[in-house]
Amino acid sequence: MKKAFRSIVMIALLLMATAVAFAQDDMVVVKIGAIHPLTGSLANDGQGMDLAIQMAVEQINESGMLEGITLELVSADSTGSADVGQEEAVRLIEEEGVSALIGTFQSAVTANVATVAAREGVPLVVSVAAASSITEQGRDADGNQWTFRIQPNADVMGTYAAQYLVEMTSAYDIPLSTVGFMHEGITDYGRSVYGAFEAEAENQGFEIGETIPYEFGVEYTTDVTLLSASALDAVMVTGYYGDGLTIAQTMQDVVLDTQFVMGVAQGTYDQDQFVEDAGDLAECFFNSNYRWDNLNELATETRAAYEEMFEEPMTAADVLAWQATMIVADAIMRAESGDPADVQAALLETEYEDHILPYDGAITFEDGETANALPVVMQVQDGAVVQVWPEEIAEAEPRFCTAWQ
Amino acid sequence: MDWTQYRGWLIAGLVVIGLFIILVYNQVDWQSCLEPEAEGFFPNCVLKNTGAWYERYGVVVRQAMVSGLLIGGVYGLVALGLTMIFGVLEIINFAHGALMTVGLYATYILYDSFGVDPYLGLLITVPLLFIIGIMVYAVIIHPARDAPHHNQLLLTLGLTLIIENALLLAFTATPQSIRLPYARAELNFGFFTAEFPLRIWGVTIQLPQLVAFIGSLLLTGILYFLIQRTDLGRAIRATAQDRAGAALVGINTNWINAVTFGIGTACVGAAAALVLPFFRVEPTAGNIFNITAFVIVVLGGMGNALGALLGGIIIGLTQELSIIFFPGSSKLIGVFVIFIMVLLFRPQGLLGGKSA
Repeated sequence: MKKAFRSIVMIALLLMATAVAFAQDDMVVVKIGAIHPLTGSLANDGQGMDLAIQMAVEQINESGMLEGITLELVSADSTGSADVGQEEAVRLIEEEGVSALIGTFQSAVTANVATVAAREGVPLVVSVAAASSITEQGRDADGNQWTFRIQPNADVMGTYAAQYLVEMTSAYDIPLSTVGFMHEGITDYGRSVYGAFEAEAENQGFEIGETIPYEFGVEYTTDVTLLSASALDAVMVTGYYGDGLTIAQTMQDVVLDTQFVMGVAQGTYDQDQFVEDAGDLAECFFNSNYRWDNLNELATETRAAYEEMFEEPMTAADVLAWQATMIVADAIMRAESGDPADVQAALLETEYEDHILPYDGAITFEDGETANALPVVMQVQDGAVVQVWPEEIAEAEPRFCTAWQ
Repeated sequence: MDWTQYRGWLIAGLVVIGLFIILVYNQVDWQSCLEPEAEGFFPNCVLKNTGAWYERYGVVVRQAMVSGLLIGGVYGLVALGLTMIFGVLEIINFAHGALMTVGLYATYILYDSFGVDPYLGLLITVPLLFIIGIMVYAVIIHPARDAPHHNQLLLTLGLTLIIENALLLAFTATPQSIRLPYARAELNFGFFTAEFPLRIWGVTIQLPQLVAFIGSLLLTGILYFLIQRTDLGRAIRATAQDRAGAALVGINTNWINAVTFGIGTACVGAAAALVLPFFRVEPTAGNIFNITAFVIVVLGGMGNALGALLGGIIIGLTQELSIIFFPGSSKLIGVFVIFIMVLLFRPQGLLGGKSA
């Protein structure tokens, strides 16, 4: 009996092996690695991004754009820790033999992975990670660029927010001389976004009247009262979802005295979840953040496909992970090879037209950064999140208001 | 004349003067008084500018005092649990904050899945956390009763890790919150109608914060009565004072240990239900209360119940007033300054020496 069972298994295995061999007859398999927090406190975001990459890989293989090459995705879990992310990067490169990496959602993890990628000579395309120094860390000893990023970095987002603020208010004759800024004060993200905004405020000729760095406290009534007493034309906020929501509710309680509130790369005020959680209070909130282009047809199709496949909305982070995968596939197609060095050389020459991000023209890389990457100002209007600035891609006119005044 | 009896007042006076100087230095425009064209005598000019500052920002000072007082009451209740456990078991329970997170999730689930109002939910969360406390004591602390103190401390630290990760597994890290539908309503008390959030003299008082403060004071009062006036309280105090003596007069000290741990944990269960309507819950949500409660217990005097309440209010006020005294820095800075000062100048705590 045992013997019979064993021989059946052997035959089955043999059959499967030949089947695989036939299928791959003239197909070359190229592996790409994706590292995201699939467990731990950021698992929600990381899993969504990994699904977006899976969907992109499926779409690429189905389309046959890589003539003779089949992409295979190897997903790894950073658990949200820089050390684990780094170990996983080494494993993907040395044991799995991936041709390129995509990741990792957090700046600290991405910095470590970028260093490994440069040392090992495998290109990394950042899905989401804002800290500006990452592309520098992704350079090897000879100055070759191994890390590429398609989102606007923290510097760009802080700088653009200050510019947009002045452009928008002057276009609609809204007075703006002093603003307040409340930002998450613990991580590199909160501080670097604020730093860039502060530097650009001086160029733009407005003053920052009150700065409140906060840690994740119990409540923010005194902080918001201080903002209210400081006679500010507008209030900026940078931080994560939970604190952003509490701060918005406190603003309503205190009846914050200002013309409007704008998030800067803020995690709350451009989310559909915010409209759901805060209801009418969500109205009028701006957020200047990375985003897809709502007017782009392919963006609409892609987001619909994602929602149909996984039954949850495709967030901006998911969109960027999807787009990063497309950029990698494009480089592999032009390199006609899975050799990491060839892929890196092709990435340097990237000129990607068919993207779904709100950038003017093709995606090209300059020192690893997308030269024309910029954030978009979103606003909650009548229960929907719409694009309001820059003017060229605006879906609606900005409204300078608060829900409580 | 014996000056030593006035030492406390002298120090308090110096602290007040020091704080005033820091406030003027950080907030008031005193630089312009140094300019040659400045009007009048320098101190007069500074005082005048201080008045102008207060006219504009006085509302922030008042708000900070009110918010600090309200949240301080809750801190006091959390610290009371911690200080009782220390008084009787002589261990610092580092899992105090993590157990509070358990209370937060219990409150959240009751509200979200069963529609139980968080304040009504106190009737469930408090007994639940009391039982969890007793179980934690029986399974984890009691077997290590005779082990060195640092081992027991490490055990509670390990328990924190287990609780946090179990909660992460069960509920993911997404922060959840509950908002009471009547938090922004008009409440009729018969003789007058209050419209929440209350606005008095520019100060905002939200209903959940006010209820949390009053609830915490009530529970602290009940607990104080229990400790001072009941047989169980006397047994707890006796065990805290002299374990062997208490055992000799027939007190089951192991049982007292377990009950004390249960009551201490029930305190955070109550605090959790009271703060959730304006706070949020995630697997690490209790950490902030853990750190603060530890500082309060040291400030008030280890094992001192009234010290916990007093310390809670002082820390609440310090934290909120930090926004004015140390603009642009963390709220916890003032708290840690006080912590270090107490350790240096009054290591036994403000009300130290008296037992719970």
